[in-house]
Amino acid sequence: MTDVEVTLTVNGRARTVRVEPRKTLADTLREDLRLTGTHLGCEHGVCGACTVLLDGEPVRACLMFAVQAAGAVVTTVEGLSPGGDRLSPVQAAFRQCHGLQCGFCTPGFVVSATAFLAENPDPTDAEIREGISGNLCRCTGYQGIVRAVRAAADTMAADTQEASA
Amino acid sequence: MKPAPFGYRAPTSVAETVSALAELGDEAKILAGGQSLVPMLALRLARPENLVDVNRVPELSGARRENGRLVVGATTRHATLEKDPEIAAAVPLLRRAAPYIGHAAIRSRGTLGGSLAHADSAAEWPAVVRALDAEIEVEGPAGRRRIPAAEFFETTFTTALEPDELVTAVSFPVWSPSAGFAVEELARRHGDFALAGVVCGVEVTDGRIDRVALALIGMASVPERAEAVERALVGTAVTDLDLADVGAQAVAHLDPPTDVHGSGRYRRTVGAVLVRRALTAALEEAQQ
Amino acid sequence: MSAPTTPVGRGAAARFTGQRLPRKEDPRLVTGRGRYVDDVQKVGTVHATFVRSQIARGRILSIDVAEAQASPGVVAVLLAADVNSPDHQFWHNLTGPDMTAPGRVLADGDVRYVGEPIAIVVAENRYLAEDAAELVDVEYEPGKAIVGLRQALETTERVHPGLDSNVSAEMPQMPIPGLQERFDGAAHTFSVRFDQHRYVCVPMETRGIISTWDPWTERLEIVISGQGVHEPRAFYARMLDIPEDRIHVVMGDVGGGFGQKIFPTREHHAVVIASRIIGERPVKWIEDRAENLIAGGHAREESIEIDVAVDEEGTLLAGRVNHLEDVGAWPAGGNGQNGAVGAGIFPGPYRWGGPGSVSYAGKAVFTNTTGQCAYRGPWMMETVGREQMVDVVAAKLGIDPLEFRRRNVIQRSELPFTSPTTLVYDAISPAETLEQAAELIGYEAFRAEQAAARAEGRLIGIGLSLYVEPQFGFGALGTEAATLRIEPTGKVNVYMSTGSHGQSVETTMAQIVADNLGVAIDDVTILQGDTASSPYGAGTGGSRNAAIAGGAAHAAADAMREKVVAIAAHLLEASVDDVELAGSVASVKGAPGTRTVSLAEIAGTAYLNTDALPPGLESGLEVSKRYKAPAFMFSNACHAVTVEVDRETGEVRILRYVVSEDCGPMVNPNVVEGQIAGGVAQGVGGVFYEHMIYDEDGNPTTTTFMDYLVPTAAEIPDLEYGHVVTPSPTPGGYKGMGEGGAIASPPALLNAVRDALAPLGVELTDQALSPDHVLALIERASG
Repeated sequence: MTDVEVTLTVNGRARTVRVEPRKTLADTLREDLRLTGTHLGCEHGVCGACTVLLDGEPVRACLMFAVQAAGAVVTTVEGLSPGGDRLSPVQAAFRQCHGLQCGFCTPGFVVSATAFLAENPDPTDAEIREGISGNLCRCTGYQGIVRAVRAAADTMAADTQEASA
Repeated sequence: MKPAPFGYRAPTSVAETVSALAELGDEAKILAGGQSLVPMLALRLARPENLVDVNRVPELSGARRENGRLVVGATTRHATLEKDPEIAAAVPLLRRAAPYIGHAAIRSRGTLGGSLAHADSAAEWPAVVRALDAEIEVEGPAGRRRIPAAEFFETTFTTALEPDELVTAVSFPVWSPSAGFAVEELARRHGDFALAGVVCGVEVTDGRIDRVALALIGMASVPERAEAVERALVGTAVTDLDLADVGAQAVAHLDPPTDVHGSGRYRRTVGAVLVRRALTAALEEAQQ
Repeated sequence: MSAPTTPVGRGAAARFTGQRLPRKEDPRLVTGRGRYVDDVQKVGTVHATFVRSQIARGRILSIDVAEAQASPGVVAVLLAADVNSPDHQFWHNLTGPDMTAPGRVLADGDVRYVGEPIAIVVAENRYLAEDAAELVDVEYEPGKAIVGLRQALETTERVHPGLDSNVSAEMPQMPIPGLQERFDGAAHTFSVRFDQHRYVCVPMETRGIISTWDPWTERLEIVISGQGVHEPRAFYARMLDIPEDRIHVVMGDVGGGFGQKIFPTREHHAVVIASRIIGERPVKWIEDRAENLIAGGHAREESIEIDVAVDEEGTLLAGRVNHLEDVGAWPAGGNGQNGAVGAGIFPGPYRWGGPGSVSYAGKAVFTNTTGQCAYRGPWMMETVGREQMVDVVAAKLGIDPLEFRRRNVIQRSELPFTSPTTLVYDAISPAETLEQAAELIGYEAFRAEQAAARAEGRLIGIGLSLYVEPQFGFGALGTEAATLRIEPTGKVNVYMSTGSHGQSVETTMAQIVADNLGVAIDDVTILQGDTASSPYGAGTGGSRNAAIAGGAAHAAADAMREKVVAIAAHLLEASVDDVELAGSVASVKGAPGTRTVSLAEIAGTAYLNTDALPPGLESGLEVSKRYKAPAFMFSNACHAVTVEVDRETGEVRILRYVVSEDCGPMVNPNVVEGQIAGGVAQGVGGVFYEHMIYDEDGNPTTTTFMDYLVPTAAEIPDLEYGHVVTPSPTPGGYKGMGEGGAIASPPALLNAVRDALAPLGVELTDQALSPDHVLALIERASG
């Protein structure tokens, strides 16, 4: 099987890789681009640990092949940080609310929550639970995660108010 | 858990897709959303020699009104069916059913055409197209044809599609704006495939049912249309309805599958309950 | 000595312990900069995968590897003949040399469970390795699988042909003088039995290891996703006869373990041995999820029978327990018998009839299934059995289960209390947690609500679970250590024997050190998981961090503080008693504005300006302390949960979930509550969603996340917590509690469902309460 050259934008930078068609987007991000923040928890599309943003939408990177992402704009958990030591509002909220323990599922949750809040800036707790039910966590019992998504929503709403004030 | 090797084509037109399928024959599988196919590749339960990726075929995307119907391209994502206001206005059942499909990340990629071609009777779209008597438009080397939903699903994971054909669009009838719709499902966890589910639409005029469609999810090898029950309901006064009995009638002849998540008997029992709940909700909406 | 330039204003001692401090681990983890074993990408790495048995029992007739060896990118295809050795020793420090199942790395001549590794295939990448693995052709002669522990006890067939029974370990029913008389003289005796199904740990990160053998230095370098580094090092030194100091084991970030990663396992062994055969190239194995579900280690498949004698008021007088455990073909450590711990803990928080009033027997049984591994509170069947027994007996006597517990629970005034199994409880508070949980959940109000709901035909119920959680401090678990080093710049590095995989050790231990040493918490770094620098210890697991590792951190910090204060006093020309140390600054008590000296200056003196030290004081700032824990310590909690059962569909909805926890003073309440929540979620999963199902031929049928259902956020309710504080005798008074959530939640949930279904006369004796199962129970009772 011959390798294919694929160019895509990852975290704001154009990147080119040479991969077999069967190499998943997740494996390509992790190995060819050394972005190991995206994790593999199941490789069959259930656990959500591999979630990235593709053209702004959350997708399971283990269920896409890198060749399919040619020309796409991909954001991984690494790309959500504003830069330096700073954390995005969702990242900061996960820390503040003890939304992680072992941290393995966390990048997937942070990306999923970021996408969820972009579509649902003022969710109810029930909507939060349903909105993040596509990601599995085994350590936290989801308590801190739900609180983190709520806190991030509140922070971003306050920032929006401030900005438009 | 890595897939076996495959060749990869990404045609940019329906014609190119058709000729690729013709050329590759049995050794090709269409890749649309990938949410059902790729896990099977990862587990090496499926090992197609070639994947024909249809995500870059513009003719397969988009939705439009045509002759009083809504025509939805095959690669339209579940997320679009969930959120697009014009689609929701034309065929409300699409927006109602979409949130039951897995989770947001699945809906970002999964497609209407892919779901129908996959023909899992525990999925939502097969039941929706069956309930609404939609027509599935397909194209192959012999040209285009339309397959009524009633003829499209043959058995588990098997459709009337020939190996060299692909789904290009789905054409939905548009019901009256006063119709009521409902979707009821029981699944083990939020977002899981339904153990049993009901998709229903109803129109009421002067207190009587004058149109009803009832399709069942996960109760058979194909989406079941409860036609006998529908015939009995048309013309009945809403106040005369014994919906629990309707539910029991709708499932009585069915022999749903048994798997690790639930027995066939359980699915039938719950199916009856969900028929009652769905009709109750749809009737309430239709009478508002 | 230069003039002090440290800023004033950091005077008052900061108290970090007890605070809900955001974690030090988090900045790297939330930004995707954690380093888990698969993130380590060394140059020249090759990747391993396994060929695994497709049958549960049978002979291997032939294995053809020629096609696999010729497959693109293949470096090696190894079988038992290449890898196994009669000299291999398979026992672990933690469990000792008594291993009942005959150890082997790869299957040799026969297979004894589906998933047993037969060959290890190593190739340039995992894709190519899996391509090659498919080409290995194994021919089997299948035999009849021994599945289910009762079948294993009855059959004459043997899971392990060389052994004379299928019993891995047995604690026989010992005749206790007077025990039968207690039963004979009791007002009531009851016999109950509860069965539990197989469910599994499911850490979000599967098992994984990278092993490199350097043939030049004859050193083994291992990176492992584990729960400690010294256990694997000791194991491989012993197994492969390599001097311990030639093995270097490190752990980076680890994505959960729950007991599944305490011991290195057969797959790890194969990788290590393969790396020695291949030489120089790092050999990496990252388990995939199907492997983890099928072969990663299973748990919980047990059955408990309890004969109990009570008086008219429901006082527990005597108990006789028989506990059966299915430990699969190869239990992970020792003989797999959790009942050995259960035997001591079973009496729980109740008085019973004094010494000799409880006897506990058990058998651990081999079957042709995946071996049992430790899973969070491995002995928990004693609580699952006891707490359900309490509710069943209470109902039969017409006594409310809360009242029944009130009559039997050990009161504070009775401490220290010697249990019927001779354990001495000295610092527990089961009665207080019972009352707090009952109050938080509104027990009386719920009973009123329940009466009204029942009148409407609704099925709502409340369940309690009261238990005592042990931490062990004997044998290999007897100590933990901390080496505390203040660097010349004043930064504090603490090397600990822990192996955190989610337990927030980098934060909690820093809180303890910062408080006891008087330093700024941002200047403290906890380091662990490296045999080169971490002191020897058992790693993390068994609820031991807070108390035992905390004890070591405490002791090291205290010892260091003494030294720092001595130097500061000397530099400040004050008496040792007048020196305060807080926020990394030493000052003189009650004399504001006078000289202060920073920890950096003190450290600089200790290393670089040693003539300025107090005469006779050893230079440098490095202290090692090993803390020896009491043999047993106990925390305790009460869980209370309310549920509603949908009588049309059998679905169970959790209404409220309350935990009243006593783990002594909490280092970080977020961490305590987080540990409880994770355990409760695993209990909810176990009772309602998770079921590792084998068919009668020994084939596991729930082998992906589509069939093995792990609960999502939509299935786990909000938890509510209350805390009671009874300090332990350890420094700081901390007690471990990490496993309790998973121990107490199943019986609480089962009791709630039992209570909800009580009007229907449903008898609940097993788990895996799928809606189908619940509806069947309802229909059977009403029909």
